[in-house]
Amino acid sequence: MAGLKVVEFTQGMAGPWIGRMLAWCGAEVIRIESHQVPGVVRLYIPPRSVERVIEPEMSPWFTDWDAGKLFVAINLKAPGGTDLALKLVGRSDLVIENNRFGVMENLGLGWEELHATNEKLIAISSSGFGDTGVHPSYVSWGPNIEAMSGMAWLGGFPEAEGAMTQYAYPDSLSALHGLFAVLCALDYREQTGQGQRISLSQLETTVAMIGPEMMDQMAHQQSPARMGNRSSYRAPQGCYPCAGEDQHCVVSVATQHEWAALCRVIGRPNWADDPRFASGATRQAEADTIDAAIGEWTFGLTPQSAVESLQAAGVPAGVVQNTEDQYLRDPHLAERGYFETIPHLKKGEVVAPGIPLGLQGTPGRTTRAGAAMGEDNESVFRELLNLSADEYNAYVEAGAIELAASPA
Amino acid sequence: MVGASQSALSNRRVLEIADASGAYCGKLLADMGADVIKLEAPGGAPDRSIPPFLEGVPGDDRSLHFLYTNTSKRGITLDIHHPEGRALFKKLAKTADLIVETLPVGYLDDLGIGYSALSAEHPELVLTSITGFGQNGPRANWKSSDLVAGAVGGPLFVTGDAEAPPVALAGEQNFLMASTCAASSSLIALLSAGRTGRGQHVDISLQETTLAISHISGVGKWLDDGIIPRRVGTALTASVPSGAYACRDGRVYLMVNRPAHWQALAQWIHEETGNEEVLDPLFEGPSSKRIEYRELLDLFISELTALHTVEEIFHEGQRRHIAFTPLQTTAETAADPHLAARDYFIEVDHPKTGKLRYPGAPFRPEITPWRISRPAPEIGQHNEEVFSQELGLSNSELHSLADAGVI
Repeated sequence: MAGLKVVEFTQGMAGPWIGRMLAWCGAEVIRIESHQVPGVVRLYIPPRSVERVIEPEMSPWFTDWDAGKLFVAINLKAPGGTDLALKLVGRSDLVIENNRFGVMENLGLGWEELHATNEKLIAISSSGFGDTGVHPSYVSWGPNIEAMSGMAWLGGFPEAEGAMTQYAYPDSLSALHGLFAVLCALDYREQTGQGQRISLSQLETTVAMIGPEMMDQMAHQQSPARMGNRSSYRAPQGCYPCAGEDQHCVVSVATQHEWAALCRVIGRPNWADDPRFASGATRQAEADTIDAAIGEWTFGLTPQSAVESLQAAGVPAGVVQNTEDQYLRDPHLAERGYFETIPHLKKGEVVAPGIPLGLQGTPGRTTRAGAAMGEDNESVFRELLNLSADEYNAYVEAGAIELAASPA
Repeated sequence: MVGASQSALSNRRVLEIADASGAYCGKLLADMGADVIKLEAPGGAPDRSIPPFLEGVPGDDRSLHFLYTNTSKRGITLDIHHPEGRALFKKLAKTADLIVETLPVGYLDDLGIGYSALSAEHPELVLTSITGFGQNGPRANWKSSDLVAGAVGGPLFVTGDAEAPPVALAGEQNFLMASTCAASSSLIALLSAGRTGRGQHVDISLQETTLAISHISGVGKWLDDGIIPRRVGTALTASVPSGAYACRDGRVYLMVNRPAHWQALAQWIHEETGNEEVLDPLFEGPSSKRIEYRELLDLFISELTALHTVEEIFHEGQRRHIAFTPLQTTAETAADPHLAARDYFIEVDHPKTGKLRYPGAPFRPEITPWRISRPAPEIGQHNEEVFSQELGLSNSELHSLADAGVI
């Protein structure tokens, strides 16, 4: 995406991750922030630092969501602040914002102003509830949306009360959908020259992720069943305890061939031809019996050795990996170079999760981890916007350009 | 000025050979206007037998899973294992910008219709492969599923109650996220091909897309603080307070992140319960300041929520700018007044099922709207349209292909 120019007025993850992926693909991404309203990720106190002070660049999530960008600090409420932001918008292809409903409009940065500044512009506004309806202005974070969508209630074991992610899933899924929507608009603009605004409601994107279940609910006026780790069309499927504390592996069988292989591996070869287990449907009915037998076999093994045996025999299986397993005990990820080591101004270097776009022909990379707020003021305003020294200083004196708080 | 009913991707043709792990990629492209042709084996794709079914009764056009993930596509049948089927596939591939496939690594290559063979004749072609572990590496040939991806990609270990085993989310979230990444990567590759004349083979790994979407509780955090994230129920480790709290008639979810939101919450708790301790400046500031007081603060909050209904906490909380939201059942989501006011759920008419309600636009572009242009195809519904009208096969050729079981 070299040549693409992006400006971000963003918070948290749902907006910034779109810019992060585009930056990895070569786009120039300028994130506008302000010391007046520092993002939550900037309010980071490293758990290992005893003095307990806020260290805005040290958050691992800041690296995850903001690496590769340029960072400028503008007080949008100071005289000239909005004009300066609009100058950046004027030379850009895309604006990403995920502020609460009305915030951009109140700053004089609503779609009408953006579009008047740059008629070919594409802009995406991502918010919890969209910009119409009963309560577009309500506050929400990713987990709020997960709870509201029905997904949280429907997840987990049948006897539990639902399950929620620890990773604010609606933020990631909204960012991925936002990226896709932006790319559709870019493709359209390539043909027609026309930009447009995209509005994304994270609640609506999240409900779309339980589409078949919601169709079931609406067609039959009854709630779908919680499945736990079982599947409606793969049997057996489950999560089984292995040797060691909190160690598990999963097994997920789809075909007769995989079933026969599983029976051999777990030492029940006669089950392969047993009429009780002759089809997926009958194995669903006998799931408890089968799960017990798989669990007996896995119980004495490490998850790694159980999974090696199963996969060698052609049975879909996987270790329930924690972060340490992912980084230290997954030779496949290591060989594929999934984790990216990138330069960090304060830590020297940091490890960031990979960007999973798989572009083998045009592989991306991350040039650097996130820097301080306003770190790139001079290079962006002086070099990219061509402000003279006097103009630059006038913005600084008016309080529109905020200087970097902590020079690297 | 272009009218407001344009399609963003109407000049893009996509061939899809995908199971449940990739069908949503085709749906994303098709609902944005691309001409997505879904190839099924003669007799129909296995995903047609994925529950839930309409009225609980299986049938080729009764899987709600299939109906949902294949909207706006055309459907043809073609046996790519048959030499004549492969020849037709090659002909079709020449008319396509993009092929999306979910077959095992090397499967298309072995049939002589992989990326290297196809790109030799069509250099701008983009071929996007979605597999469990990616196209290379020691486990490239390992088998996967949505649950396996959730295990090796991180979500499973951190999802569920502390005392219970790891557990999956509802639906097939890892398939959907791999599909969404695949759709974006495909467009990036197409935009790049438009400039350079060179397409590429896009390598989507279910393990890697799953790692990426769950990275809040991933390796970056662990390398920073040395704490392996574990299952903690409904709370978010990084935000204190956060989690589900019981009201008189249900549960609400609360997340506090900003210092001002904590102050507003503490003030409300104090007003309603008379709690003085909650106002202690010790609890003020960013979330990390409150980590060691999580259980105490949860208790204070529960004393407030227990006094009210879900609706009261939701609206009064929001009036105070605190992120309280209901923890809704699927029935409540289906009847959600805000979604209704935005006409989110839409009706799609299918010749076999009649009208059914579907979730609508996952995002709303203003000039090129998201739109379901047709229901999921029936088996081979567009064979004649594609093979005769577009590829120029005669009726007798079509019949002999059908007789030979190729289509």
